Amino acid sequence: MSDSSKEEKIIGQLLDICQETSTEERDWDSFGRDTTIEDLGLDSLTILDLLYDIEQEIGIHLEAQDVVSVRTVGEITDLLVAKGA
Amino acid sequence: MSNSNQTESSSSQERRRVVVTGMGIASALGIDESTVWENLTEGRTGVGPLRAIDTSDYKVKIGAEVPEGLVEEKLKELRRRPIDRALDLAVVAAYSALTQANLLTGEAPWEEQDVAVIFGTGEGSAQSHHTAFNSFFKKGPRGMRPTTVPRCMYNAISAGLSLQFKLTGTNYMIVSACTSATNAMGTAYRMIRDGYAETVLCGGADGFFDPFFFGVWNNIPALSKIPDPLKACRPFAEDRDGTVLGEGAGAFVLESHERAVDRDASIRGEILGYGESSDATHLTSPSVEGQAKAMRLALNEANVQPEEISFINAHGTATKSNDACESQSIRAVFGDATDQVPVIANKSFFGHTLGASGALESIVSLLALEKGTAPPNLNLENRDPECNLNLVGSEPVSIKRAPAMKNSFGFGGGNGVLILGPAN
Repeated sequence: MSDSSKEEKIIGQLLDICQETSTEERDWDSFGRDTTIEDLGLDSLTILDLLYDIEQEIGIHLEAQDVVSVRTVGEITDLLVAKGA
Repeated sequence: MSNSNQTESSSSQERRRVVVTGMGIASALGIDESTVWENLTEGRTGVGPLRAIDTSDYKVKIGAEVPEGLVEEKLKELRRRPIDRALDLAVVAAYSALTQANLLTGEAPWEEQDVAVIFGTGEGSAQSHHTAFNSFFKKGPRGMRPTTVPRCMYNAISAGLSLQFKLTGTNYMIVSACTSATNAMGTAYRMIRDGYAETVLCGGADGFFDPFFFGVWNNIPALSKIPDPLKACRPFAEDRDGTVLGEGAGAFVLESHERAVDRDASIRGEILGYGESSDATHLTSPSVEGQAKAMRLALNEANVQPEEISFINAHGTATKSNDACESQSIRAVFGDATDQVPVIANKSFFGHTLGASGALESIVSLLALEKGTAPPNLNLENRDPECNLNLVGSEPVSIKRAPAMKNSFGFGGGNGVLILGPAN
């Protein structure tokens, strides 16, 4: 699988996960690399659900400290690719 | 001696008047007052075939659910997705109550305000519990999502309301089965009466139509086996055979009379008195002594005589034991006045919403006082001679605009009674 199609697949998986995790109504059509954690309405608590779902769906274990500096969906994707997704 | 705690503490302090400045409802009859009132006075029940779960394997196949889509639509106004049914229902009711009280201006996020949240529930975050059980049994201990704890905690509803509406007074839950909402309202009333709070958002919420909790209730002999949703819930009728469950939430903004007047708030009614007691006899069988004690304490605190009561909104579950016991309790307290005071029971409309019922039925009571009309009782063609009360029939009746009594009694033996007054 090419890097771009791998990224596309991960972003699709993250979209599914975020739709499930989010407690807020939002416009999911604009979801992409530039979407920020803040845009997703995730806080320090609900981000734990995000990490849990990533492990369940994508099979990569991320610690909370791994995502401390992460601000966008693109950066999460890069992190997952670096971890072998 | 046994009643001394409540009477002494109440009489030894200066009592402040506590008024209602906002009411909100999420129920099988609708999520706005006018629709709910129209359905009540037209005699239309909210009980129907259950949508939320597949009832093929259940003895009971009916319940009272909020009409499809109403909760979700209201949550969208708040940019929320459904989280847990009980919390979602509470948010919808609280949003209406706070808006009506003119405490929310503009759009979310609102500014913080010093309002406490005291809510009641019977089953709490039932839906979240079911999700957690499912995950555990399917995937084991690592299968449960990290937010299972905050979603399932018993104060999830009051905490959720505090967060959603930025209410910085205290927030906590009262959990006393079917008395929960009435206990929550009574506690909120006391907080304001005694000067510990100026404004409290209070009420009750329950949303338990999920396969586990509905299944649990199916297996106790408290639910009606009558399959026809229009006829199943028959409070005080000789041919009653049990209650019908319902989901819902009722919310009130209570505040001190001084503050309501200061900010020129519209006053919808008043809490005049509150009484509570515990049977201490049986987990599920009610007691005349316990119920009568709570009624007497409430009347005493309100300084109202039984013959002055305009109507009683009974607990009236339509179970054999509750309705017979409550009839005896009312007669024990009201004596000869029993034959004059009209009695209504709303569970044939809303179903038994457990920890929300006291709030929903208090809303009906205050609407009745505003309009001078008590809504009818459904399915009362055959009155039970053991329930010798002045029960309202199938048509609404005129009532005087004078204090009304709202009874709530719960499994566990808890009894709560409110004396509600019209706006004055």
